[in-house]
Amino acid sequence: MANPEKLKLAKEHSHKAITFSIARVPNSTRVYLGCSDFMVYEADVTAGKFEPKELYAHSSYVTGVALTGKTLVSGSYDGKLTWYDTEAKKVIRSDEVHAKWIRGVFASRDGKTIASVADDMVCRLWDGETGKMLHELRGHAEKTPHGFGSMLYTAAFSPDGKYIATADKVAKILVWEVETGKRVAELEAPIMYTWDPVQRLHSIGGIRSLAFTPNGETLAVGGTGKIGNIDHLEAKARVELFDWSAQKRLAEYASDKSQGIVNHLEYAPDGSWLLAAGGANEGFLILLDADAKKVLRQEKAGMHVHDAVMSENAETIVLAGHNKIAVYEMKG
Amino acid sequence: MANFKNFCGSRDHTISRRGFFSAAAAGAAAFADMTRLDLLGSSALAGEMKKQQKRVILLWLAGGASQLETWDPKPGAATGGPFRSIQTAVPGVHITELMPKMAARMNHTLAIRSLNTRNGDHGSGAKLMMRGRKDEANVKFPDLGAVIAKEMGRADSKVPDYVTFYTQTEGRTMAPGDAGFLGSRYGPMELTTNNQPDNIKRLDGITELDHQQRADLRDLLSKQFAQGRTSPTLGSQNEAYQRVRGLMASDKLFDVSQEPDRIRDKYGRGQFGEQVLIARRLVEAGVPFVRVARAWWDSHGQNFETHQEMVPELDQVMSALIDDLKDRGLLEHTMIITLAEFGRTPAINPSLGRDHFGNAWSCSLTGPGIKPGAYGKTDATGNKVIEGETDAAKLFATIYSALGINPHKNYYLGSRPIPLVEPGTEAIKEVLA
Repeated sequence: MANPEKLKLAKEHSHKAITFSIARVPNSTRVYLGCSDFMVYEADVTAGKFEPKELYAHSSYVTGVALTGKTLVSGSYDGKLTWYDTEAKKVIRSDEVHAKWIRGVFASRDGKTIASVADDMVCRLWDGETGKMLHELRGHAEKTPHGFGSMLYTAAFSPDGKYIATADKVAKILVWEVETGKRVAELEAPIMYTWDPVQRLHSIGGIRSLAFTPNGETLAVGGTGKIGNIDHLEAKARVELFDWSAQKRLAEYASDKSQGIVNHLEYAPDGSWLLAAGGANEGFLILLDADAKKVLRQEKAGMHVHDAVMSENAETIVLAGHNKIAVYEMKG
Repeated sequence: MANFKNFCGSRDHTISRRGFFSAAAAGAAAFADMTRLDLLGSSALAGEMKKQQKRVILLWLAGGASQLETWDPKPGAATGGPFRSIQTAVPGVHITELMPKMAARMNHTLAIRSLNTRNGDHGSGAKLMMRGRKDEANVKFPDLGAVIAKEMGRADSKVPDYVTFYTQTEGRTMAPGDAGFLGSRYGPMELTTNNQPDNIKRLDGITELDHQQRADLRDLLSKQFAQGRTSPTLGSQNEAYQRVRGLMASDKLFDVSQEPDRIRDKYGRGQFGEQVLIARRLVEAGVPFVRVARAWWDSHGQNFETHQEMVPELDQVMSALIDDLKDRGLLEHTMIITLAEFGRTPAINPSLGRDHFGNAWSCSLTGPGIKPGAYGKTDATGNKVIEGETDAAKLFATIYSALGINPHKNYYLGSRPIPLVEPGTEAIKEVLA
């Protein structure tokens, strides 16, 4: 089983583009990458020579990739969801399903449901097999309190697939029942949204990552703390934990060493620790204990990390980000 | 008729601007009337303005907006970022998808995509782009606003010649309005705390009648004192008093609530929109130069999020201004400039930001004297100007020429002739109408 004390960098690959999203083929080291050159790639992260293979292109940044069985679903700032048959190696369909940038694509653990979130402030749920839309989850405000367009950055399914949480720029989190599309909880982490009314008159921040504990009771929320100088992302990486059904904040963690936005959160399979990865000009990888009270490991990642995946036993973590892919191992 | 939309309907108010100012000088009642834009919105006044000189509204994109996310998009290039480009009203010219309203109005606007000003520093870059040249050891050059104030202002005007809004604090001290060697007569009225000038209101303890009688007394004593004397200082002092009276009566010009909701909604209810609407009120009332600084575009981190927030606002405000000036018959006499201290690097840094870049960036000119479309070209990645390289001096020579000001005319500092632009600099002839 994974041992955070043994965490070490095993491999680091250069990549010509920025990787915004990564999905892993179960029980393998093969991954799919969504990148800034508008391409979706397939690659083996343990290969001696890292040679990502181009699969197909969107017409803007590819910000979400998720697997549902043998089908890869990708989403892009072009507003399109593309469904790709990984065995037949061909695009099944590509539809413009959001009026604005798609910020992420997520699969439920059983692969039956796909979620896409976008700056039209709608989360859409899709049948993973048929691609049919199941629900439109509307509830995030289209405008910030200061009259600018808001952004719907991220989502996460509960491990049992019954709930999905969504989070936006002004740091509002909504939890929905997947089967009915009904909103069941509303949370806020206002420190993660910075509006500068005096010096610069614009905003920065937002919630960029979410993760449920394996038992589904706690929701981890990632972003950054209040930013003094919003020209940069130089504020403390931040995680908050909520008992979401009670709509109660349980813990707040602000890094003492890592600056920037937490772009990815993921619990260990046994729920004993929480991975937080992200960055600003530099990147970081933090392993927190389950209560977010204690830092188990905190490392510089060598790049701004945009996304990450873990192996089934959590012994391998693959980080994807600014012109690099990094493989970390922590074999017990 | 568009020009009469706000007209009060009184025949008395259909007067010429010259006549109006004469009346204004006559007494307090006229001073009060000076601020009535229902008056200034009349076609008769617009006609007067047409015969007169040009106006300038400078939208100062403080901190440096990205040319790739505004006027010179590079979709698909490694440096291009995520935004698409869209066709504009000028065939073959594309701008960012974040500016659909401006794309539809590009037949009024010229994008200059080939600025190479070789300066990536906020402070010295701002000075350079506000003056068109670097100061010399012993010469502080006037900025664009001061030159326009001198060239287009009227000695008998009761409104300020140069007004600048810079409400955000970031970068303000690096880009102050400055009349340089022209002196404070052409310096700006600076608004930094709110949309209305401080300290121009008559004290509550003094009635308008008292105030007018004091002015009349001062005028009488001054005239008696001036008999037999020929002092420029004396004349200047009298002019200063007249201008202060004018300023005190012009507070309504700065009051955006005087505008109908329909117009306010077009500009947007944000600070930038309101200040640009006030700028329109000011130029309509005869102010030759208004700068509205919109800070802060310095997107070292999260460049695309920042531009996603700020460019649509610029698109709305600038397109509303064009429409509004056009409706009032003033667009052909009012130049709108978008400019900053520099642009931003094509390279995208690890924080998904763009940094300072003065080697290949863009600005825009809208209105009189220019041919709309796009001028100049950068390479496929936006790193280098490959056609029509334009430095600050050339840009200023072009602006002056478009406004009908000879860029080679001399000012005199003592006996030293100082040309408006760097010697040897010519305007971009291809863009002059």
